[in-house]
Amino acid sequence: MGLELSIFIDYGPRILVGFWLTIKIVVLAIAIGLPLGVFLALARRSRLALLRFAATAFIEVFRNTPFIIQVFLIYYVLPFYGLRLPAEQVGVLALAAFGSAYFAEVIRGGIEAMPAGQLESAHAIGMSETQAMRYVVLPQAVGVILPPLTNQMLSLIKESAILSTITVQEMTMTALRIQGETFRPFEAFIMIALLYWLLNEVVAIGMRRLERGLTRKTPRSTTLKVEGGR
Amino acid sequence: MSRDAKFLELIEITTKFDTLTALDKVSLTVAKGEVVCIIGPSGCGKSTLLRTVNWLAPPNAGTVRLEGQSVGQAPERRQTGRGIRALNTFRARMGMVFQQFNTWPHLTALENVTRAQVVVLGRSAAEAAERARAALCDVGLADKIDDWPEMLSGGQKQRLAIARALAMDPSLMLLDEPTSALDPELVSGVLAVLKSLAEKGMTMLIVTHELGFAAQVADRVVFMEAGRIVEEGPTSQDLHAPKTERLKDFLAKLTATQMPSAMAQKVVAHDPI
Repeated sequence: MGLELSIFIDYGPRILVGFWLTIKIVVLAIAIGLPLGVFLALARRSRLALLRFAATAFIEVFRNTPFIIQVFLIYYVLPFYGLRLPAEQVGVLALAAFGSAYFAEVIRGGIEAMPAGQLESAHAIGMSETQAMRYVVLPQAVGVILPPLTNQMLSLIKESAILSTITVQEMTMTALRIQGETFRPFEAFIMIALLYWLLNEVVAIGMRRLERGLTRKTPRSTTLKVEGGR
Repeated sequence: MSRDAKFLELIEITTKFDTLTALDKVSLTVAKGEVVCIIGPSGCGKSTLLRTVNWLAPPNAGTVRLEGQSVGQAPERRQTGRGIRALNTFRARMGMVFQQFNTWPHLTALENVTRAQVVVLGRSAAEAAERARAALCDVGLADKIDDWPEMLSGGQKQRLAIARALAMDPSLMLLDEPTSALDPELVSGVLAVLKSLAEKGMTMLIVTHELGFAAQVADRVVFMEAGRIVEEGPTSQDLHAPKTERLKDFLAKLTATQMPSAMAQKVVAHDPI
């Protein structure tokens, strides 16, 4: 089966329209999911049992069920309760919720990787839990959190393809349509595979830059090293 | 006078870790300006007792009072809202120094000393920096202001940790084996700083294994074993003429392993073994 180059030229613009929607959806999902993830990570460490339980339940539900089922549940079940949202909005919310569960676990892992003495010394000098996190623990944990956080972002971007199943006209949906019209699956899917790859590379490079920028200030070895004289 | 005599009070502190009783109805009173050294074998509860003072290790029962005000009263409800804010105010008044230093590696020496002044005490950046420079000068780190903790030796890190605590202008210092994690040649610098603090009249509660140091600076020595205070008295009496067999044994064991300072020889001379 040869490559039909005209498909790229004829259908490329439509794919790019779908690509733009994919970008908008994942950017919004990360913009909502990341703060939500930070909140969930801190809520899981809260003194309030109810908050701790709610956060844990949320994380466990979204981490342990298939994303496609989550999307179906939100898209088809919410209208029964009077909440009818456009497919794009459901897509953003579902991706944000799914992403936040993983972000929360990565952030919690980073916080817990810090030596206990760091949090303790912040408390001992009179800092509240929030101040201790903000000024002592999180700035150090960032170096540990960023690499796995990037991984989670990349998988969130790829999961956005699932939104094609609820009629969101994003990139995968567009490719499926083109494939149906042209019977040229190879051209249609190779185009979007390359564009997903491109998007992920851009995000990965951006995150690596951010990581270097944030950790350059301090000697690199300090991030995870447990202090000790001997 | 009585207010000064009862500057810090620990009343019937009982702490349990699962089935282990770390502290068993321990009471201790420290007067203003007094230097009290707590000694005892590892696992005797001395660090737990120190960490009870600022409620880092909340006990199962007992009360801690600073200048007559309750720092914590166990068993009480979980520390939230107003309770935790009041506790943080007390903590800011008690400088704590840890065995493992716990300097903050993402901040320079100066920032280590200014951060809590700004965040907790609400001092301006300029005011905090001025106080920090003075504190770093006091501990002999005037030339290390812009260094990262990573670049400092263990002894310098510990002196940085002391400066961080001092810059808060605490009314009490809690020191948990401040020299135990240091190479022997770095110990003296840290002890010299603590000694000068004691001479300036700082109230200090020190958990230590340095008997020579205790003999020099402590007004009182408290000997603990198995979660209880076994012997407590003026330094000269405790270290030179222990009343209990347990303290005699402990001193003999400790002096056998430590460098034979003049102090240690005295202890050995008094020891029948």
